[in-house]
Amino acid sequence: MSSILEFARGPLFRLCFALMILGLARILFLDVWGAYKALRKAGDKKMPWKLILSRTWEWIFPLKRMKNNFHFYSLLSILFHVGLIIVPVFLFAHIQLWKISVGIFWPSLPFNWALILTVSTIVFAFLMLLGRIIIKPIKELSKGQDYLWLLLLLVPFTTGFICVNFSISPGTYQLLMLFHVLSADVIFLLIPFSKIAHCVLVPLSQIISGLAWKFPPRTDDDICTTLNKKGAPV
Amino acid sequence: MNRVHNAKLILWIITGLAAAVALNRYIFGLGVTTNLNDSTPWGFWIGFDVMGGVALAAGGFVITSIFYIMKREEFHSLVKPAVLTAFLGYLAVIFGLLVDLGLPWNIWHMIIYWNPHSPLFEVGWCVMLYTAVLILEFSPVPLEKFSRYAKIRSFLMKFRFVFVLLGIMLSTLHQSSLGTLFLIMPFKLYPLWYSNILPVQFFISAVSIGLMMVAFESLVSHWLYRRKPETDLVAKLCRAVVWVLALYFLVKMIDIIAEGKFGLIFNGTWQSNLFIFEVLISTIIPSAIFSAPKLCKNVKAQWIGSFMVIAGMVLNRLDVGGLVMLGATGDSYTPAWTEIIISLGIVSIAALVFLFVIENFHIWDIQPEDPEANPHALPTFDYSSRAWLGNPNVSSITKHSLAFIISFAAGMALMPGNHLYSKGIDSIKVSRATGVDTLYINGNRDDQYVKFPHQAHIEKLGKDSCNYCHHLNLPDEKLSMCWECHSSMYAKVNFFRHDWHASAKGANLRCNDCHKPGEARSVKSAKSCTSCHPTYNFADTTNTHLKHYILSYTDAMHNLCVSCHLIELKKQLVKDKPNLAQCSTCHKAGLHQIITEDINWKIKLPHFNNVILPNAKQVEMEMK
Repeated sequence: MSSILEFARGPLFRLCFALMILGLARILFLDVWGAYKALRKAGDKKMPWKLILSRTWEWIFPLKRMKNNFHFYSLLSILFHVGLIIVPVFLFAHIQLWKISVGIFWPSLPFNWALILTVSTIVFAFLMLLGRIIIKPIKELSKGQDYLWLLLLLVPFTTGFICVNFSISPGTYQLLMLFHVLSADVIFLLIPFSKIAHCVLVPLSQIISGLAWKFPPRTDDDICTTLNKKGAPV
Repeated sequence: MNRVHNAKLILWIITGLAAAVALNRYIFGLGVTTNLNDSTPWGFWIGFDVMGGVALAAGGFVITSIFYIMKREEFHSLVKPAVLTAFLGYLAVIFGLLVDLGLPWNIWHMIIYWNPHSPLFEVGWCVMLYTAVLILEFSPVPLEKFSRYAKIRSFLMKFRFVFVLLGIMLSTLHQSSLGTLFLIMPFKLYPLWYSNILPVQFFISAVSIGLMMVAFESLVSHWLYRRKPETDLVAKLCRAVVWVLALYFLVKMIDIIAEGKFGLIFNGTWQSNLFIFEVLISTIIPSAIFSAPKLCKNVKAQWIGSFMVIAGMVLNRLDVGGLVMLGATGDSYTPAWTEIIISLGIVSIAALVFLFVIENFHIWDIQPEDPEANPHALPTFDYSSRAWLGNPNVSSITKHSLAFIISFAAGMALMPGNHLYSKGIDSIKVSRATGVDTLYINGNRDDQYVKFPHQAHIEKLGKDSCNYCHHLNLPDEKLSMCWECHSSMYAKVNFFRHDWHASAKGANLRCNDCHKPGEARSVKSAKSCTSCHPTYNFADTTNTHLKHYILSYTDAMHNLCVSCHLIELKKQLVKDKPNLAQCSTCHKAGLHQIITEDINWKIKLPHFNNVILPNAKQVEMEMK
């Protein structure tokens, strides 16, 4: 057990973490490169940068947008993201691991805050899962990936929470830790190759939409060919 | 099968692995990424990247001298690729050096801190200047693409002949000086490789490897882009190399026979076998192949022969650069996979840049098109982005970048994890010296004794000189010995016993007796030791946070013995011992094999830089 755990937190972690960082950098680079090339080919090169910026901002903090959408679900989503991002990055134990191995460290969260954020993330994830199942319009938009991601994200949070806050036998602790580390590794590995890539691509989505209006005439056919949907109505 | 595309894919994979290793090398140091140690400080990187790299880049000066000086116009099509290869080769050498140097950020030191007696200084300057000359020599090619730089280009073209001459001159200087480097080690280098004319041998072999590198590069690039190979030109190079190799062989053999080392070639040791193998593949077999006029024009024979010369000569550089020193040092060294992958990675990056330049600039008369960029190519499905990529250029970027990141991640996973968490210098406990009138100092019990004639020193320096070495005593002792306070072999020692000073049974001091009232109780707010112990003769510990730390045993011994020996030497009191201040005066024993097994040198290597050499200021003060 301990050797598997060592493997999961050693070589496997390094593999997955490196893939996540470089994979995100790669898709960001490829998208920016593609956008740049599209803009160079465009007939009208003027882009509404102000509008793009304000829209991007609105989507990163979608408070304005909430008026027209599902208020409760949107709020849930925002709150879910807070804990999801802050806890893994600023947890004291995680920072200690970095400090021991690489020697870099940064300020950590107070224990109680980390606890509250962890519990809230778990609860919000459950509620979102319920929302995706119950609310019809959201259910229609959801794909299998959306449910799986919520379930997968729940694993490291729950196991980490149990390991820190409950007195459990060493065997159980190691087993839970193994799940904790392995699920984190899987998450890191999948991030750049799934919808979670939106963490770096969000700022680009509005630029790409803005660019689409600048495509030269008859581009729609090319796009359809690229997407393997030749002849489909645009 | 798309050769260019697949070749690039492989090159990107190697580059990814090498990038991961390089990252680890810069974060965790050489100890984690190499099998080098103090007795084998020059390994695969110096042998291949620097020695081999400089030789491999010799094609530039060889072809330019054939074309511009000997006026052989038919070699025109080889000039630009050769200069490009040389330029990339030298950049690769510099990058390789940046990975290999312990303190790479000091690489600029040779520009300001001159040491004109050092061959390495000359090599460094020549490499630097020649790289600059190569930039000037090559820059007209990329400038050709931009019409706004036409004036600069025509200016550079006017002085091209000057650059060519400078390039040839600088190459001649440092190709041979790389051999000069090893003249300093007649006892370390195995006799078959050591020679007083090593610089001449290095230069001749550089010419041969330069010729063959140009031929090989032409063969490879034409094969990749499916162009008609330049068989006739390459055949001319092959014919020329026979003469150069013959000269090399003659010079080498005459030297070996004249020095009376001929018998060593067949004495059956691994060195002699290595020598026979090296000479066979670098010289004898290729010259035999190229001596036959038919084989000279045969493309397969050209491939085999040119590759053999290149491999053999690089092996020669590897041998001289460290491999055949192992017999003298008694060390064993096999390059770690990380060392090999870094070298391959640097070559891969150079090759990728070479292919990029060939595709995008006017190197060949007919510019090759990347077969991937064919606008009529059918779109292919890309699994990584799950879309049909219409533009093949986009698809190749997508695939190559994916290959790079996957191999980088694999490289990170393959790094030896347990070595990554180095905790600094091991605290090796010092043991006391044995003997009475003559002390045998062997602090870490590694059987490397230093003989210290204690009684003879007392007699020479006088009986009042005790406190010269015994500068501080432990409480209730009259003459404490060195190892009692300097109790760690290589690490600094905290000698201040805080608890004893504060306890009722010890010094019974209150906090405010030492620490300033109202301030945080730290080293900074404490009184200095000498305010209570005015007679203590502390060594120089001006650094505040190191206030309570004293030198390691090794540093203390070096500081004391070497400083004193230097002073005595300068005072000219010991005219009969001119070598008094040299290492070998005290360290008589040769390097011992036990060294590597006893302590974990490999992991701790970077920290060995902590060994402090004699304090120059102290010596000057004493002199005054």
